[in-house]
Amino acid sequence: MTTTSPPEEHPGAAAPAEASRPLRVGIVGTGGIARAHLPGWTQLGVDLHCYSQAGAEEFAAESGATVHGTLEELLAAVDVVDVCTPTPAHPEIVRAALDAGKDVICEKPLALDPAEARDLVEHAETAGRRLFPAHVVRYFPQYAAAKQAIDTGAVGNLAVLRFERTGSLPSREWYADEELSGGIVMDQMIHDIDQALWMAGPVSTVYAQQAIATSDSAVRTAHVVLTHHSGVLSHCRGFWGPAGTAFRYTFDLAGDAGRLQYDSAGDSGIVFDDVASSRQSSGDGFLPDVSVLADPYAAEIVEFMTALSTGAPTRVEAADGALAVEVSRAALDSLRTGRSITC
Amino acid sequence: MLTARPTDPAGPGGPSAPLKIALMSCAHTHAVSYAAQLRTRAEVDLVVADPDGYGDVRGARVVPSFEDAWAAWPEGPDAIVVTSANAHHKDLVLEAARRGVHVLCEKPLATNVPDAEAMVAACREAGVVLMTAFPVHFAPAVQALRTAVADGTLGEVIGLTGTNNGKLPSARDWFTDVELAGGGAMVDHTVHLAEILDSIFGPPATVHAVTNRILYADRAGEGAETGGLVTLTYDSGVVATIDCSWSQPADAVTWGGLRLQALGTGGQLQIDSFAQHVGGPGQWLPYGTDTDALLLDAFLDAVREGKAVDPTGEVGLRTVAVVAAAQESVRTGQPVALTTA
Repeated sequence: MTTTSPPEEHPGAAAPAEASRPLRVGIVGTGGIARAHLPGWTQLGVDLHCYSQAGAEEFAAESGATVHGTLEELLAAVDVVDVCTPTPAHPEIVRAALDAGKDVICEKPLALDPAEARDLVEHAETAGRRLFPAHVVRYFPQYAAAKQAIDTGAVGNLAVLRFERTGSLPSREWYADEELSGGIVMDQMIHDIDQALWMAGPVSTVYAQQAIATSDSAVRTAHVVLTHHSGVLSHCRGFWGPAGTAFRYTFDLAGDAGRLQYDSAGDSGIVFDDVASSRQSSGDGFLPDVSVLADPYAAEIVEFMTALSTGAPTRVEAADGALAVEVSRAALDSLRTGRSITC
Repeated sequence: MLTARPTDPAGPGGPSAPLKIALMSCAHTHAVSYAAQLRTRAEVDLVVADPDGYGDVRGARVVPSFEDAWAAWPEGPDAIVVTSANAHHKDLVLEAARRGVHVLCEKPLATNVPDAEAMVAACREAGVVLMTAFPVHFAPAVQALRTAVADGTLGEVIGLTGTNNGKLPSARDWFTDVELAGGGAMVDHTVHLAEILDSIFGPPATVHAVTNRILYADRAGEGAETGGLVTLTYDSGVVATIDCSWSQPADAVTWGGLRLQALGTGGQLQIDSFAQHVGGPGQWLPYGTDTDALLLDAFLDAVREGKAVDPTGEVGLRTVAVVAAAQESVRTGQPVALTTA
C-alpha cells in the first residue's frame, strides 16, 4: 500500500498536496469522542474520512465522511489521522499513521503503559511528524484562564491545588474494564492530572486511593495526591456517579498571593428554572455540556491544525501526553500497592 | 483520687445554684466567644483566667492567674473550659481531674497521643466529664450529612472530600509556633473534619499526609506547615481527603470555612457549614446557627447530668491520633496504619 503523502515530501507540515484541496482528515474509531471532534473538523471545512470496527456508516451519515473498509485504505486517502478508538488500540494505530507519514491527533490517554506512550512520542520524532495528545481540558476556557493567571503571577507561588471531576461511567463496556481503560484514574482523572502537571510542573511522588461501591460497581471514586518538584501539593478527585449524575468539574488553586476557584455547577450565565429544565434533554453525563462555552474540542483541533500549517507550538505537546500517562500509571501502582510511589 | 462531687442537692446549675464555670486562659481566640456566651446565661457564674493578659475578654469577672480562678469560689468551680495554647491543655485538664471538676477542652485535645491518652484516662478515673470543643459537630449542615448517611439517602457512601481552609491565625502568634500548637495547619485544621468523619464512619484504618510551607511563608512559625492534604481510608473501603491548608488569602472577606462532600450510590451531598451569609461586594454577614452556643448547651447539660456526650474526650483523642499518624506519614512519605485506641 502506498501513501499519498510520504514524510520526505512534507517537512514539518501536513498541508494538502495541492493548495486548493481541503485538508483530508481520517477519523479512526467513530464512537462518542469522534462526535465531540466533529464540530472542529466541520468548522475547518476538511474533507473527512473515517474507519471504524463498528458504527462507521452511522457516523458517515451524520458527518458526510467517506467510509473506508480498512485502516490502510484510510491512511492512503488522508493527510491527518484523528485517533478516537478505545485506548488499547491507540499505539498500533498511531504507529501505523506515523509510518504512513501522517500527522496524528490521538485521544487521551496516549497509551496505557508509560513506556509505550514515550515510544509513541519518539516514534513521531523519528518520523518527523507531529503527534497531538488530545488533552482537551487545556482548551476549556476556565482552565486556560487559570493557567494564564498563574503564569502571570496573579496568585503568587502555587501551594495547594484541588481538582474534581464528576460524571458517569461511560456506557460502552470497555470503559468498565480496568485492563482496557485504566479505570477512572487513567480515563477520567488523567485530565486533572494533566492540569496539575500543566500548572505546577512535574511530580516527585504519587499516592492514590480508590473506592468502588460494593452494591454498584459502576459507582467509583478515586483520590490522587501529587507532590510536585516545586513543593506544590495537588489533590485530584474523580467520581463516576450513579445513573443520572450530571457532569461537573471544579478547581481550587491556592497560591501565596491569591486563590482561583471554579465550579461548573455554578452560574454559567444561562439558568433555566426547574420547570423549564425538566422540558429539556439532560445530556448523558459522559461528556461535559459545552453548549455554553466556546467549544474546547473545536479549539483544540483548530490549534493543532494551525500548528501544522505554521509550525507553531501547541499548548499540549506529545511529551505532555506521555507524562500524563506516566503519572497516571504511578497512581495505578499506588492503588495496587497501597504505597506512595516515587516518580 | 477524688470523684466528681455532687455540687448541689437540687442538681448543679439549678435555680438555687448557678453552675460555677472557670474559663482557663484567653490564649485561644475562642475564649472571647465562649465567654460572651457564658456570661449572658443566668444559670452560669463565670470567671475568666487571663494569665497572659490578653485583655480581650470583657464583661466577665477576669482574674490574673489560674490559681485565682480555682480559688474564685470557696468550693472551687463545677467545670472549666480550657482555651489555653494547645500544649498547655494537658496540665489544666489533669488538674481539673485531680480536683473532680468537669472539663470542656478546646481542640485539638492535645499536641500528642500520650498527652491526650493521659487526659482521657485521668478524667475517666476521676469520674468527671471531658468533652472536646468541636462546635461544628453541632452545625445543622453536619447533622444533615449524618442523617443523609444514616437514613440511606446517599446509598453506599464511598468517598468524601473535606476542606477546612482558613487564613493564617493572626490574633495569636502561638497558633503557628510548633512547640505551643503542636504543628501548623495540619494540627489546627484536620481535627474538625476528622471528628465529623469519626461521628459517621468511626476511626480510619490508614492515614496518608503531605504538607508544605508555601502559604504565609513569611509569617508562619519556624517549621509550621501551612498547606496539607490528609487522606484517610476506612475498613469499609471509604476514602476521604481533608485539605487542612491555611489557604484563605489574608484579604478575603471571611476567615475561611468548612465544607464536606460525600459521594454515594444514592448521589452526592455537599455541605458548607459557614455558607449562610448575606453577601455583597466586600461584605460577608453570617447569619447561620451559633454552634458555640449549641456546644456550650451540650456541655452544661452534660455537667448537670455528670455524663459526657459527643464530642467527647475520647473522640478528641482519636482525632489527635489521626493528626499524629498524619505527621508520621509526612516524615516517612508512606501511609500509616492506625491502631485503634
